[in-house]
Amino acid sequence: MGDYFYALNSTSNSKKIMKKQLFMAFFLVLSSAAFTQIVYEFENSAQEKRFYLLISEIRCPKCTSGSIASSDAPISRDLKNKVYELILDGSTDKEIKQYVSERFGAFSDYRPSLSGSNYILWFGPFIFLALILAIFFIRRRV
Amino acid sequence: MIGEISHLLSLSAVLLLSLVLIFNLFFSFNQSHSNQLILSMRLFNQACWLVFISFGIYIYLAISDDFSIAYIANHSNSQLPIFYKVTSIWSAHEGSMFLWIVFLIAWSFLFINALDKNHPLKKPTLLMLSLIILGFLLFLLITSNPFERILPFGAIEGADINPVLQDPALAIHPPMLYLGYVGFVISFSFITAYLFHGDFKLDWEQDIKNWSLVAWIFLTIGIALGSWWAYYELGWGGYWFWDPVENVALMPWLAATAFMHSLFASSKSDVLKTWTMFLGILIFALSLFGAFIVRSGIIDSVHSFANDPERGLYLLSFSGSITLLALSVFAYRLPSLKSSKLVVSGSKESFLSMNNILMITSIFSIFLGVTYPLIIESINGDKVSIGPPYYNTIFAPLILIAAVFIMISVDALWQRSMSLRSLFITMAIPTFLSFVSIYLIWAFASVFSLLAYIGIFSGLLIIFSYINRIINNFFNKKYINKGSAVAHLGLGLLFFAVSMNSIFSYEKNLNLAPGQSISVNESVQEFYFKDIRVFSASNHDVISAEVSLLHDGKEISLNPQKRKYATRGQITSESAIHASFLKDTYLTIGDQLENSSWTFSLKINYFIKWIWFSAALMVLGIFLTIFKKKAS
Amino acid sequence: MNQSLRILIILLPIFILVFFTKILLVDEDLKLSSFEAKNFPAFELDDLNGRSVQSESLNGIKLLNVWASWCITCLVEHPFLTKLSKNNVEIIGLNYKDSKSKANSWLEKHGNPYLFSIYDPRGDLAFDLGVTGAPETYLLIDSKVVGHIQGEMNQQKWETIFMPLIQQATQKK
Repeated sequence: MGDYFYALNSTSNSKKIMKKQLFMAFFLVLSSAAFTQIVYEFENSAQEKRFYLLISEIRCPKCTSGSIASSDAPISRDLKNKVYELILDGSTDKEIKQYVSERFGAFSDYRPSLSGSNYILWFGPFIFLALILAIFFIRRRV
Repeated sequence: MIGEISHLLSLSAVLLLSLVLIFNLFFSFNQSHSNQLILSMRLFNQACWLVFISFGIYIYLAISDDFSIAYIANHSNSQLPIFYKVTSIWSAHEGSMFLWIVFLIAWSFLFINALDKNHPLKKPTLLMLSLIILGFLLFLLITSNPFERILPFGAIEGADINPVLQDPALAIHPPMLYLGYVGFVISFSFITAYLFHGDFKLDWEQDIKNWSLVAWIFLTIGIALGSWWAYYELGWGGYWFWDPVENVALMPWLAATAFMHSLFASSKSDVLKTWTMFLGILIFALSLFGAFIVRSGIIDSVHSFANDPERGLYLLSFSGSITLLALSVFAYRLPSLKSSKLVVSGSKESFLSMNNILMITSIFSIFLGVTYPLIIESINGDKVSIGPPYYNTIFAPLILIAAVFIMISVDALWQRSMSLRSLFITMAIPTFLSFVSIYLIWAFASVFSLLAYIGIFSGLLIIFSYINRIINNFFNKKYINKGSAVAHLGLGLLFFAVSMNSIFSYEKNLNLAPGQSISVNESVQEFYFKDIRVFSASNHDVISAEVSLLHDGKEISLNPQKRKYATRGQITSESAIHASFLKDTYLTIGDQLENSSWTFSLKINYFIKWIWFSAALMVLGIFLTIFKKKAS
Repeated sequence: MNQSLRILIILLPIFILVFFTKILLVDEDLKLSSFEAKNFPAFELDDLNGRSVQSESLNGIKLLNVWASWCITCLVEHPFLTKLSKNNVEIIGLNYKDSKSKANSWLEKHGNPYLFSIYDPRGDLAFDLGVTGAPETYLLIDSKVVGHIQGEMNQQKWETIFMPLIQQATQKK
């Protein structure tokens, strides 16, 4: 996309206009979504809340880190649109996350599943707490 | 040439520090102990000055555009304002490491010279500090040399630094953070020296208390600045992302908070000393761990410096050895550290101990969150993502409960059980008020989130109980600890504001063509997309949208922008924010659609200003504590 | 009790040290070879010449390369793909979010290393595959997706990621 801007450093008027148009054109997306004014319009506020929560828990597959909610990447936009469609379709949160994970990998979910070694992750701190409490109560002198 | 002088000065410092260590560890001349100490101090101080001058010269090199130095060529540019030429020094690994070390030396220099020359711990502390500084200087000069040249001719012009980095808040954020991190080398070294020395009748807490408080202030400011910058710059309206690099700054902060509370207790009475010592060591160990994580390249983060395993290995082994040294001395002395008194349940010590235990667990949960993906990936290559869902579930409850213990501990008694009656008297009204507030908020919000409400409750409980206490003590002419009150009010406000923000904030995505207008909801009565303009500014082109909003009856004008910077062709998005008392109206422009309409992301963020204010309150509270007049 | 506590305080940091050393020195290949094979998603699409693509055409050992005329990095990897195709590596293109005319002109201008290119203007198939952008390349073996490279294809990635998988598969036969 950088090639578009070779013209940007010249100074004549018509080139200036072209430059402005090119700069704007950079942000043009081919979109198949209907051009409604409120994007992501839902049937009720519960669905809307589900949507915004879900997109904050789905990882952007292209970014170093961060959810699709916080990402501008095209794939994030596609994923947001997909989540939107699926919610309107009636899928549950779990089904939606499953749908995304099947395509983009298990690490798309910022909520690690409760399975296998992830038990260490979810219960580790509590085991740690129990251990420290045990040490403390046995010693009782600080 | 000048660069070589600067380089040489740092190398000489290495030599001098090595001499300090060699003299004291291996040779014992037929000199008195005090003479050897005087000599060692002279060598140490000279080494410090050498590095200060070296860094000063380096700043001069950056300001004078010496692009024969690779680092300056890669991160600065002759067109930058002087301020940003200086701040570009710490925009990447080698330079920021240099700054880190300069601060490390500054803290050490001030502290060791302020210690009385006859203080029994002066020599062991000096040795510990020399060892740590030497290790880092060697790391800098061997693996991450900021003085490397571009040969044979140097660069004609520097690369421009990332336009995103040309921001005052972002420029100040690393120095504040580093001052905080390395400030705790004082407690680390002094406590290790104390344990090594073995005279347990020595009073050590007073000597490091104010130093640690100051370091804590810097750390708090550093974290808050980073959060604030992320909020207004990154376009998402979030202020905390649980990014690994944020987490490794949070862990020392938590340890420092637990340490400060423990320190106040152990300086007043003969209790919690073991906790305090352990925590004092832990803080700097966590800072070292943080430096390792960020600079070794093993973490995926937008923050991390791109690095190679060689640097990682050095940092890991050096930090590990230092920490192991301190902890070994601690473990060795552990039996002698037992207090003569047993902890009575329901006493102030017991509540503070519970607070320490919970805070350590909360630190562990963050540690686990940061390292677990690394562990799993190295075992079977699987990738796991850990973010807000994990930390909100595990970390948040721990920290909220810890705060409640701190609150109860204020009115608890030393070595005696707090009676249920006195507990009731102090907590009854605040608890009642908190429940009433929760009820009112719930009625108004009609949103239920267990975690958020616990957060609100905890925050309000802290606020109300301190107000209650202040009023009580005022009318009974009892002593009010201003610093503690202000800092804890800040903490309560933080919990409250963060939780309220999570309940009330919402987002709307809109799609409008220039000239169109829409009513979004009852609160955002009108959103009018007036116009979109393209124009040029100093070093970038701008697409600027003019939007006029009618938000809760108030007219607001916002101009979100897209920018393209000339030098690197980088595109950034500048959000437009209108910050009012209760909420922020936060608008970001997105993409253009085929029908020439533009997408907008409108976020209404509640209580954001309260979050920043709470950080300011905490800093103010710590500040007041430093300057507290000693009770006569 | 005290004794075990002291030992614990020493052992824990040592344990953490050893652990991180291992992580630092972890084999890069391990990270890359953990891709879980999955079936190629079902689709009903035409190729760039308007002919419908049959799923049998994905059999055997093939590369699937995601490209577009608007994608700059695709130009960077193009010579390497051409080289591969001349060395009897079969490559199928997946034309991603592009216009037919622009795509065909691009191929005419720069050369066509593909057996054919699936035309996916809306990116539906790409989405089901887990494509995050262009360029990306998948390794297909008997209609199963067994390998994935994000970003441009080059000699080093070809050798370290795809070739071992191909060798594994041909040995089994």
